[in-house]
Amino acid sequence: MEDKINSGEGENPQNEVSRVEMRLPEEFVRFSPLQRVEHLLVMIFFIVLVITGLPQGFFETSWAAWIIMSLGGIDITRFIHRVFGILFAALAIWHLGRVTLLVLLRKARPSMIPTFKDFSDATGTLKYYLGLSEEHPKFDRYDYRQKFEYWGLMIGGIIMIVTGFILYFPVFFTELLPGVIIPVAKAVHGYEALLAFLVIIIWHMYGAHFNPDVFPFDSSIFTGKISRERMEKEHHLEYARLLRSLAKDGEDKKSTGEEKSNYV
Amino acid sequence: MQRGEKKRIRAEYEMSSKRGSKDASAILSTLWQSATGIIIALILPFVALAEPQTNFSEGVEFCLGCHSDSSLSIVLPSKEKMPLYINPEEFAASIHGDKLGCTDCHSDISDYPHPVKELKNRRAYSLAFYEGCKRCHFANYTKTLESIHYSLLSKGNPRVPVCVDCHGAHNVTRPDKPRTRVSQTCKKCHLGVYETYSASVHGRALIEEDNPDVPVCTSCHHAHNIEDPRTRTFLLKTPELCGKCHANERLMQKYGLSTKVLETYLKDFHGVSVTFYKSQREDITSWKAVCTDCHGVHNITKVSDPNSPVLKANVVHTCRKCHPDATTNFPGAWLSHYEPNPKKAPLVYYVKVFYKIFIPFTIGGLGLHILLHIWRVATNR
Repeated sequence: MEDKINSGEGENPQNEVSRVEMRLPEEFVRFSPLQRVEHLLVMIFFIVLVITGLPQGFFETSWAAWIIMSLGGIDITRFIHRVFGILFAALAIWHLGRVTLLVLLRKARPSMIPTFKDFSDATGTLKYYLGLSEEHPKFDRYDYRQKFEYWGLMIGGIIMIVTGFILYFPVFFTELLPGVIIPVAKAVHGYEALLAFLVIIIWHMYGAHFNPDVFPFDSSIFTGKISRERMEKEHHLEYARLLRSLAKDGEDKKSTGEEKSNYV
Repeated sequence: MQRGEKKRIRAEYEMSSKRGSKDASAILSTLWQSATGIIIALILPFVALAEPQTNFSEGVEFCLGCHSDSSLSIVLPSKEKMPLYINPEEFAASIHGDKLGCTDCHSDISDYPHPVKELKNRRAYSLAFYEGCKRCHFANYTKTLESIHYSLLSKGNPRVPVCVDCHGAHNVTRPDKPRTRVSQTCKKCHLGVYETYSASVHGRALIEEDNPDVPVCTSCHHAHNIEDPRTRTFLLKTPELCGKCHANERLMQKYGLSTKVLETYLKDFHGVSVTFYKSQREDITSWKAVCTDCHGVHNITKVSDPNSPVLKANVVHTCRKCHPDATTNFPGAWLSHYEPNPKKAPLVYYVKVFYKIFIPFTIGGLGLHILLHIWRVATNR
């Protein structure tokens, strides 16, 4: 790995890198306080939306009826669902607006854009899992799984928001659009919700809790911190870039571990 | 259970007969009546075999000695003339003609001269007999206590019907033979409703074809425990009420009607709400449409009728009853009780098909990815 880091730099690569590594902290700040709050909010909103929404989709089952009746009836359940739907929509607008602005003003480096490398990383990882390849692909700030989940949330979230508002204001939306958008929105809203719920329950819970690498709990998104060890292993390219920039800056500068907040 | 019931009946009987006669004589007369009842029951088959024309119970001929005089009457304190004439043929033809004697119902009378009653008008006489039928028809009597009619009666309204108003007194016959008789009976008071009903798809089929399947008044309102149909509880029962027939495959097949109407309604926004409202507290006031809000109540027509509120040309007006700002696009939101299919609502159908493939594909792929990872971690160790 040292070759990659030092490609084209310095005469004594080995010494250079180890000297830089000496100056690294044990933990890096991976997520800014704002990003952590955003995750916390979307988590709360998502849970409330699932609790109040899923029983509406499965209204015929006894557990769904139990939840709805426990919440105080169908009208109250719908009211809570709509309030949190509005909050979710507001958060989505805030997040997308913030990120777009930061990128446009060149205040932050976009790191969630899917690239061709993500596809080769995915096939490379699967090859490695299947034993067809000896080497695990090396990832940048976000690996293909994280990008998949982020964009899944973004696209799925927008679909849910649009169809949700159509169902919330059917009379308004059919002023210009044909009536059939209501049952279409209802079908999409229900199935997309089911998909989102399953992805979170299966994929996200595995990635954040049951994955043997992080079990029982990957706390990065709550504390904002990631260990140097995990940085090097899971986000190797970003780690290497950091080392290079530190090496360039000279010996007297020590890493504060906060260099990464300029990513979105 | 039965013993208790008997006891209660007797107690109530005793109370009601206190005005006319003394307790001891009342008990005696009951005992005597039960005894005669048994004797009659034992003798009757033989009597009937021997002489088929004589079908009166014992004692009836005795009473008819006076009451078959068509001019017999008294004048009540209200100055109303009350005829005391009993048409022997009519009574003989009634359902009770060969089963009951006069004193079975007129149990306060056992001799002549009759005890004097302090009732001021004819209506008071009818009302006084409200309790009379329950000695035999206890279950139906109990049901009437839950009815809107009884509740109005107990509030002092003398105009509401008691047993004899619908069933008749000395001329009781089966109330639903023919079926049109039911609506004729209710019509006596509910004329407006009858007129609307008789022009409806159900009413016309009943009156014009004597159709055995269409609902008569009592099919929806019941006969004895008639609920106030304006209450939330009653209205929330509408889908199951209509569904009794309209979700019945065998019955609907006869008329080429879809039985999907109930299911598709219950799965939709309105139906889901109403299903929950039924188990929710009474004090919530919000409402979602039930069958009758769109199709009408007593004026239900065929959906193809030009006046039908659910005909495509009219349906937007029906929607506007609850959604005042609805445009002509709005009714398209409702799939007219159809399950989405490639012909009807293809967009909805293909969206569902897409997700039914896409969800297992995505989740299956992610699940496989997880399993491969676990397998790799396990083999690396």
